[in-house]
Amino acid sequence: MLYLQILANGLVLGGLYSCIAAGFSLVWGVLNVINILHGSFIVLGGYLAFFGYVKLGIHPFASILIAAPLFFALGYALQRGLINRMIAAPVLLTLTLTFGLDLMLSNAMLAAFTADFRKLLLDPPLGILALGPVVLPVDRLVAMLLALALTGLLYLTLSRSRIGRAIVAVRMDREAAALMGVNVKNVYAITFGLGALMAGASGPLLAMIFPISPLTGPVYLGKAFVICVLGGLGSVPGAMIGGLALGVVESFGALWFGPEHATTLSFVLLIVILLVRPEGLLGRKGYS
Amino acid sequence: MAETLLKVAGLHAGYGDVQVLWGVNLEVPRGEIVCLVGSNGAGKTTLMRAISGLIPARGGTVGFAGENLTNASPERALAAGIAHVPEGRRLFAAMSVRDNLLMGAYLRRDGAQAVAEDLERMFAMFPILRQRQGQDAGTMSGGEQQMCAIARGLMGRPRLLLIDELSLGLAPAIVDQLCDTLRALNREGLSILVVEQDVATALDLASHAFVMDTGRVTRSGSSAELRDDPAIREAYLGSI
Repeated sequence: MLYLQILANGLVLGGLYSCIAAGFSLVWGVLNVINILHGSFIVLGGYLAFFGYVKLGIHPFASILIAAPLFFALGYALQRGLINRMIAAPVLLTLTLTFGLDLMLSNAMLAAFTADFRKLLLDPPLGILALGPVVLPVDRLVAMLLALALTGLLYLTLSRSRIGRAIVAVRMDREAAALMGVNVKNVYAITFGLGALMAGASGPLLAMIFPISPLTGPVYLGKAFVICVLGGLGSVPGAMIGGLALGVVESFGALWFGPEHATTLSFVLLIVILLVRPEGLLGRKGYS
Repeated sequence: MAETLLKVAGLHAGYGDVQVLWGVNLEVPRGEIVCLVGSNGAGKTTLMRAISGLIPARGGTVGFAGENLTNASPERALAAGIAHVPEGRRLFAAMSVRDNLLMGAYLRRDGAQAVAEDLERMFAMFPILRQRQGQDAGTMSGGEQQMCAIARGLMGRPRLLLIDELSLGLAPAIVDQLCDTLRALNREGLSILVVEQDVATALDLASHAFVMDTGRVTRSGSSAELRDDPAIREAYLGSI
């Protein structure tokens, strides 16, 4: 029965990982930009939830509604004003740009919030839910469900809406999309905005479980990276499967090899996938 | 001759340091099918790309139905009524056939009902696309992909359809079928400018032809005139 509990823990973690990776994967796939800022956006979203709760009494789950439009606007403006200027440059140059922006943002957060780890504690706590032999804290469970809902919403936006189809079209063939009348620059900015939105909205969810500090930004970024490779780049179902897979692997890895090796295991997994199935678990032709 | 729909005058264009078009003049009368022929590297595709706004003009003008479209964005060119079916078809490979067609209607603002009706029209015109509508466009045969690409262009409700390399890589029976479809569309009032490497097919389809060579239009006239021109016969049709 221990395995069942570990599996449940892994899926809860994995649901959150999906949400982290979906936006990162979207931006990478559509813009060919590796957004190093992604981790810091998550942390910033976490701080928004923390201070919103501590200072203003806004429930962390409700703060997602504030974070979403805020981060979308931030991402849109950043892409329109800055990143679009070098979108045609090789991927390493845009990576350097977002790396530089990330240095600025994470250091600004260090200056503003210090490197102290802060933990968001709900008062009163939401308690735990016992499903037979499996016991789950309710706050984690709700956070995971919200994370999966957000990821699902992104998937529906991309597959069902007009702007979503335009994003996918630009990802597959920028020039052909332009011939359909798609304003590619605008689509880029919207895509980057959606990526930032996903990061900013997953911040409050992660803050329910993990302590918040500017130092955790690179950790989340690393996870997003592994998941993208694991699930296949640029597809939301890929991020979802990759996220859940990573969560489960880390959970069992912690059990079998000790929690200190969980991260090592995820990067070993990354190397194995790169060797065996470089297109990712859900890689698909035309998405290369 | 009918009134001019598309008028390209003295057009210069190219890529980076390479200039491809050197003062191209070309006209498409309203309601006609016009073909553009010429050897590889003559600049046919570049001309199409300059007309639809994918690359800027370095000189000269593109006029369309009284509007100046010189250096217009592809978005503006399409909104004005020019749809471009690009060389190699360029379908969205991992998108369903249906979604590809909906992308063609991206700029339209006349409502879901009108788009759905046009989708139905495309399925009536190319029944195979109805069967394949849920399938990834990239998994279809070349002929089916060309049908999808043409239908995608038509979904934008253009007045002028540009088709770059209609028959390239397709079986003769499919080419005949496509030509019949284009003739039918033309009878309904659509003007068409088609780039075609098979000169016999091109002259058969079009009423008027332009011949390009090294970035310039070197010859133009009615298809009948060009078919009887000894130089054209020698160069493109094989001497008989």
